[in-house]
Amino acid sequence: MEDKNQLDLNTELMVLNMGPSHPATHGTVRFFLKLDGEKIVHMETEIGYLHRGFEKHCENGTWTQAFPYTDRLNYCSAPQNNVAYALAVEKLLGVTDKIPARAVYIRTIMCELARMADHYTNLAAGTLELGALTAFIYFVEARELTWDIIESVCGARLTSNYIRVGGLASDLPEGFAGHVKSVFAKNRVFWSEFDKLLTHNRIFLDRMRDTGAISREDAISFAFTGPCLRAAGVEYDVRKASPYLAYREVDFDIPVGTTGDNFDRYLVRMEEINQSMRIVEQCLSLLPSGPININDASVRNPSKEDGHTYMESMIFHFKNTIEGIQVPKGESYVPTEGTNGELGFYLVSQGGGKPWKCRVRPPCFALTQAMGHMCTGSYLADIIPTFDMINLIGGECDR
Amino acid sequence: MFDYTYLPSPNLLPSLVEMMLKIIFICTMNMAVFAPVLGWVERKQSALMQDRIGANRAEIFGFTVFGLLHVATDALKLLFKEDFIPRGADRPLHYLAPFIAVVPALVAFAVIPFGGKYMLWGHEANLVIADLNVGMLYIFAVASLSTYGAVIGGWASNNSWSLLGGLRVGAQMLSYEVAMGLTLVGVFMVYGSLQLTTIGMAQENFFHWGIFLQPLGFILFITCALAENKRTPFDIPEAESELIAGYFTEYSGLKFAMFWMSEFLEMVTISAVLVALFFGGWQIPFISHQGLIDAMGHLFGPNFGAIVAMLIHVVVFWVKVISWIVILMLIRWSLPRFRFDQVMRLGWKIVLPLALANIVVTGFILLAVR
Amino acid sequence: MAANYKKVNRGVKLTLWERLYVMEVVRGVTITARHFFRNWVSTFRSYVSGNPAERGIMTIYYPEEKPVVPEAYRGRPMLVRAMDGKEKCVACGLCEVACPAKCISIVGAMRPDGTRYPETYTLDGAVCIFCGLCEEACPEEAIVMTHNYEGLVEYDRRLMLYDKEALLVPEDKLKGRLDYIRRRMYNKCNY
Repeated sequence: MEDKNQLDLNTELMVLNMGPSHPATHGTVRFFLKLDGEKIVHMETEIGYLHRGFEKHCENGTWTQAFPYTDRLNYCSAPQNNVAYALAVEKLLGVTDKIPARAVYIRTIMCELARMADHYTNLAAGTLELGALTAFIYFVEARELTWDIIESVCGARLTSNYIRVGGLASDLPEGFAGHVKSVFAKNRVFWSEFDKLLTHNRIFLDRMRDTGAISREDAISFAFTGPCLRAAGVEYDVRKASPYLAYREVDFDIPVGTTGDNFDRYLVRMEEINQSMRIVEQCLSLLPSGPININDASVRNPSKEDGHTYMESMIFHFKNTIEGIQVPKGESYVPTEGTNGELGFYLVSQGGGKPWKCRVRPPCFALTQAMGHMCTGSYLADIIPTFDMINLIGGECDR
Repeated sequence: MFDYTYLPSPNLLPSLVEMMLKIIFICTMNMAVFAPVLGWVERKQSALMQDRIGANRAEIFGFTVFGLLHVATDALKLLFKEDFIPRGADRPLHYLAPFIAVVPALVAFAVIPFGGKYMLWGHEANLVIADLNVGMLYIFAVASLSTYGAVIGGWASNNSWSLLGGLRVGAQMLSYEVAMGLTLVGVFMVYGSLQLTTIGMAQENFFHWGIFLQPLGFILFITCALAENKRTPFDIPEAESELIAGYFTEYSGLKFAMFWMSEFLEMVTISAVLVALFFGGWQIPFISHQGLIDAMGHLFGPNFGAIVAMLIHVVVFWVKVISWIVILMLIRWSLPRFRFDQVMRLGWKIVLPLALANIVVTGFILLAVR
Repeated sequence: MAANYKKVNRGVKLTLWERLYVMEVVRGVTITARHFFRNWVSTFRSYVSGNPAERGIMTIYYPEEKPVVPEAYRGRPMLVRAMDGKEKCVACGLCEVACPAKCISIVGAMRPDGTRYPETYTLDGAVCIFCGLCEEACPEEAIVMTHNYEGLVEYDRRLMLYDKEALLVPEDKLKGRLDYIRRRMYNKCNY
């Protein structure tokens, strides 16, 4: 009888278009939803609203001129993009081993500061969209303090443009270690307050636990990397699997989850913030003195004295700037652990001063394609934490 | 069942004056003081909670008055904003919805006493607009009317998000209406009345305040009240990250302001009900109602003494109400929001059984005491 | 020294109180209320004393109080006018080619004494991305990123097309930045 009534009712699925300008779809993405009441029956994701032709831009500039563009991929952690690109170019040049130790350590510090800033932003935005507006601001404050450090080193908060092929743009400022120490002390307070506000809060737990879960196998077959993969229980971190920079020298834990749901992703990110602080502190204590640029006139800029004294230095300066650094023929890819996962630049050089092809492997592209898989069958409201913990960055995904 | 004591007594003129004064007072408090100022309080309070400064830019001749002028600029902006009605909307209902939302919040205040009874020049002034013997039932009845405003607004907007918001309002209000009624049954049993003035007088003794006699009832009621108010953590009908703005997505200008105002007014009403039922209403701890009037009478003479006592009681009541508004705002800004099914689960599976248990336990205790 | 994988503690145990929501609501509200009252007192104190430093809040009243930018800060790019009143720029065009956004255009000319100078120097502020590559490329320290972050936007793009006169700044006003460039970017100890 009951079923017959159900059949007589003329019900149909509700088609809903979520985004591209919807409060939750920051980073401009669009979801086509078919809803049965509040349940999602079908979900399609459409990306590409922030496509700016990054790869084509890079092919039209010199190797150095691509650095400002890489800043604008994942704008929350710009130094990491700089580093990933620089490492790929250095591999092409074959100078990876000649980078001075100080530069390597400073790069590691910047990478980890960027990771912190990115995780702060991500977790803050995630809680904001779950309605916890105050916890959001506490982590944004922590992020601002972290960006203060990045600004004092790079000269800009977001578009750092700090790393150069063969080294760095400039050395660390005076009093850097003290600045980092005072900021970390404040950030640890914010972290514990955020943790107290949310981690044990049942409302938050109910929203995060067992929502947007993905199995270990599915995560691998969707090409997940980074915190989302580790949340699913896969022990894979590029920093350990194929160490680059100074990650071999420092001691840190890589948090791994079990079920791959949003709560695991949240916990993994929370713990990674602490581990990043640990890495930065170790790097600061290990930080050697010395040069910050490779001693190779065909790669770096000459010093003022040299440029004004030696003809060759001046010529190299002009040639490097006008024609670009001369990179031999070949192709390279260096995987790095970006904040959201494996970040790498696949570069092809035909010789000469410009990249022939510059392809970025953005971590969140692979994560975004699994949105439909993770959300189908759950509630409309579950899209919000899942999408936040995926951390789609439009600049990176759409390029 | 009904007695008609709230109708004007044969001594018509003073009663009429008294009635007018009370209505004007409550309307001014709500419409002119609370509805706009709460917008400011909410901004400033949330700013300070979040280590921010908050609204501080609107100024007249260089005076910003701590950002209070933003209230005026807000009103001006909303007044002059285009009143947008989407294509395909049900125009009459679209017009009607904000009014249905805002009126009940105001009208509910009629039965809440903001002071006791005072003899002024031989006329007994009772500081409640309508001293109904079914006071709380009246509040329930009126408060549930405001649901229609949201549901109709959601339906009439011809927008999928509004519709989802309207559906969520309907379901949420329905669930918590039941639980809210039952949570207060314990209070009625303890005080033996539905009349809010009687309940207020019964809380003359500090240890007879509702919070001490009905602690569980208090927690359950505040949960239900938050849910009825549709603010975080129960703001799923208007969850901005899910449904854009829920049932008022398609409202702008003054109609939007009316939804906004109804939310603030509901918050005032809820705080007032909380104070009236659980925090002694206008009563000052350890000072009896008549005691204060007598003491003031000794100082200022019987009539003026009564007026002074009345003023003190009114101020005490509003201070309590404002403190509760601040606490409700603290809760609203601190917590994340539920999911739709979790709100339902909390309402039906936790609050409702606990409310029933509370009634049973209260009944047993009352039997044992008597 | 190595990295280790470690399982996160997912099984957050909830006590009965926490299960009933109440405990966590109270705890969360305590934290935010602490911030509220602390900031309330400190804001009021700073309002009375008029000292903004006493306000324990990170936001600043922007146009009245200016943020302090670090030494490395890259603000509006400016041309340097040497102490003798001439442009330092020799119109070599390196900044023009170094600019990834292609916002600089120069027309060079020769002075009677044989030194070169830019006849026109146009920097499109609407296109500039403040990357600082022009500063790094310049062999003459003639274009620098100043600490000036105000007035960078206009309502009309044509107003953001800065010509030479709008860009030139006397050298002594840029002392700090020029010193920074020499110390940090162009120092021989960098390699």
